[in-house]
Amino acid sequence: MKPFLAQLRFDGRRLILRNFSFQFFSILMPAGFYLLFTKVMVSGSVSASFNVNYMASMIVYSGTINALFGIAAILMRDREQGLLQWYQLTPTGVQPYYLSVGIWSMVMNGLAVVVLGALAVGVNQVSLTVGQWLAIAGIALIGQLPTLLLGVLISFINRAETLSVVSNLITFPMAILSGLWWPMSMLPNWVQPIGKLMPTYFVNNWLGAVATHATLKSTTVIGVGVWVACLLALVIGGTRQLLKRGDGVVKA
Amino acid sequence: MQPIIQANHVSFSYGKQAVLKDISLTINPGEIIGLIGENGAGKTTLLNLLLGIRTVKTGELALFNQQPGGPLAKQKIGSMLQGDLPVRGVTVGELLTMAATHYAAALSPTKLMTDLALTKLAQRKLTTLSGGQLRRVTFALALIGNPDLLFLDEPTVGMDTNAQQLFWQRVQDLKTQGKTLIITSHYLPEIEKIADRILLLRAGEFMFQGTFADLQRQYQHVEIKFQTALELTTFEQLAGVTKVMQVHDLVQLTSTDGDQTLQALVPYLPQLHQLTLNRESLSDIFVQLTKEEKA
Repeated sequence: MKPFLAQLRFDGRRLILRNFSFQFFSILMPAGFYLLFTKVMVSGSVSASFNVNYMASMIVYSGTINALFGIAAILMRDREQGLLQWYQLTPTGVQPYYLSVGIWSMVMNGLAVVVLGALAVGVNQVSLTVGQWLAIAGIALIGQLPTLLLGVLISFINRAETLSVVSNLITFPMAILSGLWWPMSMLPNWVQPIGKLMPTYFVNNWLGAVATHATLKSTTVIGVGVWVACLLALVIGGTRQLLKRGDGVVKA
Repeated sequence: MQPIIQANHVSFSYGKQAVLKDISLTINPGEIIGLIGENGAGKTTLLNLLLGIRTVKTGELALFNQQPGGPLAKQKIGSMLQGDLPVRGVTVGELLTMAATHYAAALSPTKLMTDLALTKLAQRKLTTLSGGQLRRVTFALALIGNPDLLFLDEPTVGMDTNAQQLFWQRVQDLKTQGKTLIITSHYLPEIEKIADRILLLRAGEFMFQGTFADLQRQYQHVEIKFQTALELTTFEQLAGVTKVMQVHDLVQLTSTDGDQTLQALVPYLPQLHQLTLNRESLSDIFVQLTKEEKA
C-alpha cells in the first residue's frame, strides 16, 4: 500500500498540480464547449433535456481527450525516458504506476463532472437529484475505462509524432460519430450504425439515461463491458510484450 | 562462499545474430568487476540478462541462487543504467522519496542526499539539472534500495572532476561495506584503479577474466621513454623492442620484454636522459588486444 500511496502523491504532483495544460485540455475545453453550445451560440430557448444531455456529452468528451491525448502522451514519455523500465526493475513492479496514472485520469474525470455539473446548474439551471449526480459521477468513472485503456494502447506507438496523429484521428471522429458534439440524428444514415458501436456512444447514452430518467437499454451497459474486456486484453498483452522486448534499456 | 552471480555456458542471440557465445562466469560477494569491451561486444545484452530484462535461451544463469528478475533479485539489485530520468514536474527529493517506497530496506532519502552531496539539489526540478547532476541523481536512485549488487553502466559520463572523485570515493565505501559492483565504462583508467577483476568481452566471448595484474602479466608490454641525441634507428633492433616512436622530445620504446630491452640499453645509458619505464595501462592493453583481434 505504501508504494502505491507514494506513487499517487508523486503522480498527483507531476501530472496534475504541475501540469496546467493537461488540466486545460481535459476540463476547460469541454467546459468552454458546453457554454458555447448551450448559451452563447443559441437563439431562443434551449430545452432542459438538451442542457443535461450536452453536459453528459461534454463529460464523456473530457474523459476522451484526457485519456487519448493526456494519458497516452504521458505513458509514452515515461516509457521513452526509462521511467517504466525503472519501475519494472523495482520489487513492486509496474502495477502501482499504471494504477496511479489510471486513478488520476479518473479523478480528472470526476473533476470534469464537478466543473461541468456546476456550469449546468449555475448557468443553465439544470436540476438533478443527489442520487442522479452520484450516479453520473459513478458512470463517468466507469465510462472512463474504455477510453483510458484505448489511451494506454495507443501509448505503445513508438513515435510521438505518430501518436499525436493517431490521438487526433481517434478522438475527433469518435466524438463526432458517437454524437458528443451534436446529435447523432444530424449525421448521414450510413454513418450512424458505426457511431452506435463507439465506446463513447454507450457511455454517453448511459449518462443521458440516468440524467433524464430515460430507459436504460441493457445493450448500453453490455457495450461498455465488451469494450473494456477487449481493450483490457489488448493492453495486458501489449504491456507484457513491451516489457519483454525491453528495447533501449541499457545502451552500453 | 556462495557466488552472487553464476553463469554457465550462457548463449544469447537476436534472431540469427549471436550476441553472447557460451559465456561462463562466477562473481562472489564483495567483488568489484570491471566489464569492458568495444561497442557491440555484448555488454548490454549481458547486463539485460543479469537484470532479467531478457531471458536466457541457452545455458544457466542465477543471481542470489535464483532466476534473474525474480523478486529477491529485484530487492537486492540497484541499477545505474545509461539513461537518466529527467521526469517533468518532479524534484530530486520527490523522486528519491517515491523510489524509496519501492524497496523494503530502503535508505533514508535525506541521508542519501547528504552522503552524495545532493542536498542542495533536493528542491531542484529534474529537468533543470545538468547532465552530470542528473547522473549523480541516477546513482542515488541505484543506491536508494540499499542493494547488495550494483550495476553501474558508464557511471561518470558528464560528471565534473569533483563529482567523479566523490563518486569513486563512494564506490570505495560500498566496497568496504561488502557490496558487489559490476561497472561498465569506456574510461578504462577508472576501471583499472577500482576493479578487483576485469572481464574483457569481445564479439560475445570473454577474451580475459582476471585481475589487472594478471592481464599485465599476460600482455607484458613495457613502455620506456627517454631523451637522447641518438638516432631512432639505434633502438629498433634491440631485444624485445616492437615499436620506436618520437613523441615531442622523447623517444618512446614499446617492448614485449622489459628486462632484456633494459639490458640492451645499458651501453647507451650515458646518452639517455630523463628515462622512465612504465608497464602498460589497461587502456593500452585494451587497444592492443582489440587491434590484434581485428588484424
